[in-house]
Amino acid sequence: MDALGPRFERFLAAVEPDRAGRVIACEAITGGYSRISARAQVRWGDGAEETFILRGDPPPGSGVFTSDRDAEWDLLSALPAATSVSTPVARWYDRSGEHLGAKAIVMDCAAAVSLQDEMARAGDPGSLADLFVDTFAAIHQTPLDALPDRMARPADGPAYLDGVLSYYDRMASRYPGSAPVLRYVSWWARAHQPPPVPLGLVHGDCQPSNVLVGPAGPPLVIDWEFGHIGDPREDLGYYTQIPLEPNVYWADPERFLGRYRAATGLTEEQVNPQVVEYFLIIGMAALLEQLLAAAAAIGGGERPGIMAPYLINAISHQYDMFLAICDRLS
Amino acid sequence: MQVVITRPTTDALIEDCCRELLEGILPGLTDETLKLRLVMTETVLRNAAVRTAHEIAWMREETAVLLAYARRVVARHGSAALRAALADAGAGPADSLHLVDVADCYERAGQAFAAALAAAQEAGATDLVARAREVLRDRIATEKAVMASYAVVGR
Repeated sequence: MDALGPRFERFLAAVEPDRAGRVIACEAITGGYSRISARAQVRWGDGAEETFILRGDPPPGSGVFTSDRDAEWDLLSALPAATSVSTPVARWYDRSGEHLGAKAIVMDCAAAVSLQDEMARAGDPGSLADLFVDTFAAIHQTPLDALPDRMARPADGPAYLDGVLSYYDRMASRYPGSAPVLRYVSWWARAHQPPPVPLGLVHGDCQPSNVLVGPAGPPLVIDWEFGHIGDPREDLGYYTQIPLEPNVYWADPERFLGRYRAATGLTEEQVNPQVVEYFLIIGMAALLEQLLAAAAAIGGGERPGIMAPYLINAISHQYDMFLAICDRLS
Repeated sequence: MQVVITRPTTDALIEDCCRELLEGILPGLTDETLKLRLVMTETVLRNAAVRTAHEIAWMREETAVLLAYARRVVARHGSAALRAALADAGAGPADSLHLVDVADCYERAGQAFAAALAAAQEAGATDLVARAREVLRDRIATEKAVMASYAVVGR
């Protein structure tokens, strides 16, 4: 048990003073790109045991991907009443970081495995692909008025798209080394806008690794730090670049999109392989900005950690994808 | 005149460090987080080895291409922004081969190129926009060469 265990035990004493919780195991969860995560096992005074996930901010100035823990907590708290999709039970929040050393959300740990792992094990992941599509189609149909007031609400789909493309223009100004590619791509994207769809809840990190499945019960969707109101096709575009095998979009794009259209009522003009490619550009905007900011930080003498220089290649990889999309869809 | 030891070259030195990390240090690590950080560090160093062997030549070659494009555009669709960007590019330390100066000139040329592309797009000059796309294709090909052993991994 590292130093987090005793801290968590003191936190439990503050939020559940009558339950005499003891942390009997606490270990870091490796592999995440953004937040610091740990799994902790707790034995309460009455002998009952529970396992929790702690999800906290990395130390200031470190890491590449940043997100607002307050916003994530608000969204996690609102989702059970807002959506038909199951989400982690958010138990407590150290809003100031005074107990856990950084702002941290504490959630129930589900007895479940990643849908990505299940797909990899399955000989034919077809039914699991359907489950994945249905899950995200349901997320996208979440009524927006049930979401936290603090979430930005664009006027409509075209206004949202204009906002993202303007964001690319601002990135081009802020990061001169990337200006040639970003100016070209945003100009192209303005000239090739797909038919609009209603705004929806966008998960922001749409991939089967963020869906947990257990022996019973509905799938559980985790990692909501990049959740926002936007064009739901962003999630589809984003998923196309996820390199983990199997990628069930690329396994059969027509099946994937046909099921998504059936679940959402969107038309083939609104959702087809070309439109999904277009939305890769839209869906990657926020993450690209964070990659560029991290690279600039290194250039400015900061030390955000090894992930920042490692992911400089991801910038090149994204530009390669973006330009290829412009070529294919022109 | 400053004297440097020419062999091994910088890229060879970095590659030697990469081998040490992978063969001499990694096998002795047991902490999974440290292992991951070491592998990422080795990838960054391997990329840096590729860059250091070529980046001055690459940037100077591309600077010439970017400025040639900007001059071609300004001859047909000169805007104030483009003329200003070209003037700024001309003010860079073009004779210096120090890396920071070469990078400075390269960034200035990139700004001129972006301004030229904007002028070409605004004018609807499809031939010039198509030429810009060719330039960007070459730039990406170079960046992919730098990526070397980088493998895209899931978030």
